[in-house]
Amino acid sequence: MSSPVVLLDPVEFLQPNRRLFIDTNVFMDTEPRRAGGLKRLFERGQTTILANNNPIVVPTKVVGELTKQSQIDPSGESEERAQAIKKAGAALTFLKSASRVGLVRKDLGDDTNPYADDLFLQLFERFAGTYEMCLLTHDITIKLRIRLLAHRLAKRLLVGVLTKDGDLEVDTDDSLFDRGHRKYARHAARVADGTGNFKDESEVAALKPLLDEFGKIFGLKTSAVKLGPRTTRSSAPSPSTARWPAATPAAPVNPFSARARLKPSDTPLAFSALPSEGERVEWASADKTGTLVLGALLGEGGEGTVYDGDRSTVVKIFDRDHLTRHRKEKIELLVGRNLRAKGLCIPTAVVRNSAGEFVGYVMPKASGREFQRTIFNKRKFEREFPTWKKTDLVDICISFLEKVQYLHSMNVILGDINPKNLMVDEKKNVFIIDADSWQLEGYPCPVGTPMFTSPAMLGKAYSDDLRAMEDELFAVATMLFMIVMTGQFPYIRTGTDGDMVQLIKEGNFAFQYENRNNKDQPEGDWKYMWSHIHKPVKDLFWHSFHREGKRYKKRPTATEWLEAFKAYKSYLRNGRMCFDPMSNDVYPIRNKAFKQDAPIQDCPTCGRKDAIAGIWNDDNEEYFVPRQCNKCRDQQPAPLSTARPPSTTRTAASRPTSQPTATCKDCHTSFPTAQLKYGRCPACTTKANTLDPNRLCTDCRQPFITYDHIAWFTAKYLDIPKSHSAIKQVCPAAGRPTPSPTAKSRSQSQPGFWTRLWKWFAGN
Amino acid sequence: MARLNIGADDLVDNPTPRVPVSLCLDTSSSMSGSPIQELVRGVNLFYDAIDEDDDAHDSAEINIVEFNSSAGLVHDFASIERLQRISSLAASGTTAMGAGVNLALDTLETRKATYSGSGVLYYQPWLVLMTDGAPTDNIDTAVMRVVDMVEAKKLTVFPIGIGSGADMKTLARFSPNRPPLRLDGLKFKEFFEWLSRSVARVSRSTPGDTVKLDLEGLAGWAEL
Repeated sequence: MSSPVVLLDPVEFLQPNRRLFIDTNVFMDTEPRRAGGLKRLFERGQTTILANNNPIVVPTKVVGELTKQSQIDPSGESEERAQAIKKAGAALTFLKSASRVGLVRKDLGDDTNPYADDLFLQLFERFAGTYEMCLLTHDITIKLRIRLLAHRLAKRLLVGVLTKDGDLEVDTDDSLFDRGHRKYARHAARVADGTGNFKDESEVAALKPLLDEFGKIFGLKTSAVKLGPRTTRSSAPSPSTARWPAATPAAPVNPFSARARLKPSDTPLAFSALPSEGERVEWASADKTGTLVLGALLGEGGEGTVYDGDRSTVVKIFDRDHLTRHRKEKIELLVGRNLRAKGLCIPTAVVRNSAGEFVGYVMPKASGREFQRTIFNKRKFEREFPTWKKTDLVDICISFLEKVQYLHSMNVILGDINPKNLMVDEKKNVFIIDADSWQLEGYPCPVGTPMFTSPAMLGKAYSDDLRAMEDELFAVATMLFMIVMTGQFPYIRTGTDGDMVQLIKEGNFAFQYENRNNKDQPEGDWKYMWSHIHKPVKDLFWHSFHREGKRYKKRPTATEWLEAFKAYKSYLRNGRMCFDPMSNDVYPIRNKAFKQDAPIQDCPTCGRKDAIAGIWNDDNEEYFVPRQCNKCRDQQPAPLSTARPPSTTRTAASRPTSQPTATCKDCHTSFPTAQLKYGRCPACTTKANTLDPNRLCTDCRQPFITYDHIAWFTAKYLDIPKSHSAIKQVCPAAGRPTPSPTAKSRSQSQPGFWTRLWKWFAGN
Repeated sequence: MARLNIGADDLVDNPTPRVPVSLCLDTSSSMSGSPIQELVRGVNLFYDAIDEDDDAHDSAEINIVEFNSSAGLVHDFASIERLQRISSLAASGTTAMGAGVNLALDTLETRKATYSGSGVLYYQPWLVLMTDGAPTDNIDTAVMRVVDMVEAKKLTVFPIGIGSGADMKTLARFSPNRPPLRLDGLKFKEFFEWLSRSVARVSRSTPGDTVKLDLEGLAGWAEL
């Protein structure tokens, strides 16, 4: 068999009519087999680069990704990952000095292009006719794409990696095809067993057609591919060794089927008598049987009655309306599978009456109290857990997510996630009850709670269909938001008529996000609570809940959330990263401080600690420090806008220092009236007039629309226009560049990316 | 000013969806004596029961509108923590039921607008109409408003007749979905206990859920 790779000299791509690019993953490669390769490349290429004035290209997007990676806190990460993070930091230092001496260009491709992968593809397609190009990357997907592109355009476009000696290692077509299939199998296995995340799903979706095309074009057959572990090294688990993340039992338990079809409708079961307190019943676990006497009645729920079992168990006896075939079969499945995990009240034994008929089940006792009665309301929260901080709520999210992740790995969908079947104790342990309503093996979860029901499920009968993972992940996201916000509903906003179904369906998540100005934020301190949430978690929330978010239809998995919340936890513990002392308060009373250098003071009026943070003013480039905290300000008479009783005016006038203030309509912070323009504070004015760098005109690929303008369309539920011409502005692509009618963003002051690229390729 | 602000904080700091309940009570001269005393006792018992229920406590908001020769607000909507128990109601004059119902509906509209304006979730409101006689003013507008709202599922109405003199035909006009109920003797206590249980039941549901009323519990106080 021929060698799977071909070795080339990368220096040939430093000739004047050729270009060499490097992707992020090459800088973060920790494979010892290739150690030192990058260094060798630069040593070997140095003279050629300088002689031809043809530096290696590391696009701005790649530098941005490296910067982001290097800022991750490596503690708690795997050793390999920690090493990669360290490498990202080192690469940045190296790139800085390399670019200074002209070996590297890193000013190409600004943030206007959201995806580095797409950027490389666009580049290669656009300039294939002009240059021979080579990209160094480990990403198989992009390798496949570029190989196909080269074939389609019949041009020399290469993708490869570096060896230890700085040689260019290019896969043969078969080897690339083989590796593509292995990558596909890895992601597909994770999707199939329910542990997959968004990335797995999108890789599967992308690789499938790509590999089909690749096989057809290069005449390759799938049968040649062996789905074994990778020959070099395996960082991702192969499908046969996939692990269930939390609470893996000593003897592995097989997950339930991921593809079971909906069972026929549920039917009631016949029974002669329902046992009650003091009566003896029979029980049968996976491997034992016995009898027990029902202890004291602990509670009556909507579906049955719960009695004390022994010290660590309770017994649920269904009522007549809920004694059904589905419940019986579902409980038998759960008991038989012998799942054990702390905090999950999974049935451990089936319970039968004296006639031998199924009437209920035994489960471990939960401790603590329902979320509904403890953390979902400020009054109850402060009564139950007066000393808890934000980090304690983050711990609850983590405890909840670990259980959800485990159940999802077992192909169990909880279905009716709500604050009455989740309990929490004073040690922050979360317990999940109501296992008999879970969805598994085609038995639907017959109940639900509108507040936690996905837009797609709303209006349908819960028992009529199986829930999809997307429906479940809507409930998970909503629950996490409501834990962090102690009971506030994500879609709360002003101007509702109380119709919750409508609120969920419209997807207008009203909390202020980045430069969007949402005027529908609820009143009260909720906006401050939202403001202090760790940015990565905030991003996931916004993108999951807002109809324009990237994750609105591909909601984050439990595993993704778990990572985000673990990062939130280490963020709160890291005094340097989490610079605002109020960020760990459950009920902060002001927005998060703008930056590390923002002045933070106690309120001189009420003495509340850290209650005042400087507000950045873009116009005079300094912090404006309010005289009082928000609470004291709210106690003051409202600004004299409408009625002004003469007596008040006189008192106010006699006070020498007070200047008239008003509230900014976007950030709701109080400012001296003189600083407000059209009801906005200076910072919000700047924001409102800035062009959104993520929205590009379809004609000229430049930012073209201001945040204020976007907000206008959003408020009217209109689609956001996509080009200059759609908002009646002159597009530079039309040949008549005009200055932007509103304020210019920073990226506007430079020529656009493509312009600069053209110039560079043209040698200017 | 300060008081109002505290009230506003109270409103927005609590994320629990609210159930606004308007008690629209007949205080005409025929109610004087034991009926009005029993009514006051019943209302205070209702407040206590709501206060003690962990769920209803955070969601119920109650006001009282009285009608005799004219209509008036006894107290506006407030959470149970701010509600003072009422010491007495004076019974006198005629039965301006139309004005009473209209005022109750107006206060409900205002309260809903406050919820909406501050970003507070709510359940569709409840109107409890109690009378021992027949209206002495025009009730057509009030009936039309109530019927429209009930049919649009924007209002749950409980028309209750007190004693044999209550005009059940008039009360029936206010209740398109179910017949009005006549209080069994002066069982105000039983009625208000039932009402607080029903409010609690609603506050344990989610806005938008269909909540079944405890019809079996009616037997404790209503003449069926």
